[in-house]
Amino acid sequence: MERLRQFQALAGLTALEALRQPLFLLLTAACVMATGLAPLVLMHQFGEEGRLARDGGLAFHFVFGLFAAGYAASSSLSGEMRRGTAAAVLSKPVGRATFFLAKYAGVAAVVLAFSLCATVATLLAERVAERFVMEPGIAGFVTDTRTGVLLGLAPLVAFAAAGYVNWRRRRPFESTAFVLLALFLAAIAVWACLFDRLGRWAPFRTPTQWAIVPASLLVALGLLALAALALALSTRLGATPTMALLVAFFLLGLMSDHWFGTRAADSLASATLYRLLPNWQHFWMADELGGGGTVSIRYGMQAALYGVAHIVGVLCLGVASFHGADVETRG
Amino acid sequence: MNAGLAIETNGLVKVFRDFWRRPKVRAVDGLDLAVRPGEIFGLLGPNGSGKSTTIKMLLGLLRPSFGAIRVLGRAPRDVATKKRIGYLPEETCLYNYLTPRETLDFFGKLFHLERAARRQRTEQLLDMVGLAHAAHRRVGEFSKGMARRIGLAQALVNDPQLVVLDEPTSGLDPIGCRQVKDLMLALARRGKTILLSSHLLADVEDVCDRIAILYNGRVRAHGSVKTLLRQQDSLCMTMPALPPATLERVLKSVRKLVGAEPEVNCPSMDLEQFFLQVVAEAGRVGEVRSGVAHSDQLADFLTNERADPPPGAPRP
Repeated sequence: MERLRQFQALAGLTALEALRQPLFLLLTAACVMATGLAPLVLMHQFGEEGRLARDGGLAFHFVFGLFAAGYAASSSLSGEMRRGTAAAVLSKPVGRATFFLAKYAGVAAVVLAFSLCATVATLLAERVAERFVMEPGIAGFVTDTRTGVLLGLAPLVAFAAAGYVNWRRRRPFESTAFVLLALFLAAIAVWACLFDRLGRWAPFRTPTQWAIVPASLLVALGLLALAALALALSTRLGATPTMALLVAFFLLGLMSDHWFGTRAADSLASATLYRLLPNWQHFWMADELGGGGTVSIRYGMQAALYGVAHIVGVLCLGVASFHGADVETRG
Repeated sequence: MNAGLAIETNGLVKVFRDFWRRPKVRAVDGLDLAVRPGEIFGLLGPNGSGKSTTIKMLLGLLRPSFGAIRVLGRAPRDVATKKRIGYLPEETCLYNYLTPRETLDFFGKLFHLERAARRQRTEQLLDMVGLAHAAHRRVGEFSKGMARRIGLAQALVNDPQLVVLDEPTSGLDPIGCRQVKDLMLALARRGKTILLSSHLLADVEDVCDRIAILYNGRVRAHGSVKTLLRQQDSLCMTMPALPPATLERVLKSVRKLVGAEPEVNCPSMDLEQFFLQVVAEAGRVGEVRSGVAHSDQLADFLTNERADPPPGAPRP
């Protein structure tokens, strides 16, 4: 029980520290704004209503998430080693495995919070996207400009409100802005459920693409795998090499099917790399959603198992690496 | 190894290696240390002599290349050992985004302290280090001296049996330095063991029972401060101010009896004492608006005097 409380304290502090990092807030806000504004400024349909908004939202989720997860993970461990706070904590009765795993739990919590914001933004963006309507007085393509503007403004309103709270109550700006952004997104989602694009009371009459949720969950799982990788790399490397290697792993994993999968039958090296490298394509289900498709439960479970196995394996390597590492201030 | 010692190292060696695992520097080279329970032990040496590396090995943060270490009778990486240790690092390492209150509460949680105890100790420590009025500010906004005070507070939150202080007075004003020295003496009176690493030799001389001087990772001199500093061939006497005629008669007698010219000095207040007097006087008329509120009070949970100090622990 005591160790659990210690674990909670470490994980909570890691999450709080990550939320109070200005860069993490900026990445989240940029992801929400890009997702929300894309359907307002892009007029191309991509062959299907809402597809561009949906694919764009999931892509923003993955790419901004890559940097958010990598930054949160590397700054939480490598940054702590550099600043010396890791030494201060490990001089207390804290086991190294507890410290490492609590770091991961804290980072995972903020990555999931980021993914929650990105998912809600993608759901709303899909609603904003241009679609054909046949209504009295209208027969053509329209966009849900109100929801789009609300979505695009949400980060700015959250920043302004957090500034006011900071001035009045002296609460930290970054974490307050993040929490307010999440609350505003939830409020916009509720508003979008109850009102139509013209602001008329029409509860639950506008269709929502709920299939985005499982696809987004898989992207979130991919981000958790990336965070585990970044944390394991941080046990021995500084923040810059960690981020560079993480991007390399991301690109290699995206192209794994093409580079290694096609040669796996003929080459042992390709087969080994194909199995060892995390294949991010397993977490990218945007194409499956085309034409009203969904992510099957069976596939979702298989992909989840694949992701969890990768995370557990990488975390075990990270614990082993951190156990033998010298904890000293990195210049 | 001797189970009765607070800290014991035998033939301790630390070799730092580069990326390719080639030896880069031998920071500690065959170090033998024995620190008794209840004493204030000073670890001295120039920059790069291996003091901080030794301390990090004692805390289990660095793995020794060779040699053996026992801290409070156990291996340094034993988590149970660390429950009884308080550590102030050389550079104050704190979470910049936390307030002092959040910082102390967090470190209290790592020691499994209950909420009520954490709250009580946090308030007492904030009062003790003079930062109660700045408890809502982020630690990252603090000056070096203020951060140092929070660092000191976190090192004491568990009421440790062994306190390891790496340059504790670095960045502190003279009042803070005096408070830290008084704190060390108070803790030692309660039977705590203190390992002090410092460049400020006057501080070490003021509080330490024994010292070891390191150079290139090796002990070059060690023993009690009094023994090491004693000048056996001279004597100093202090007496009330004398009229010139009387002084001349005394000097004449000394010259006749000793056969050497005596040295006469007027004792003066040292700069630290003078500074403390001036600031104490200023503090009586003004209030603290920023920075540190100076307090002579120790946290209550640190002041319970121990009735029976351990043997072999003379106090200065």
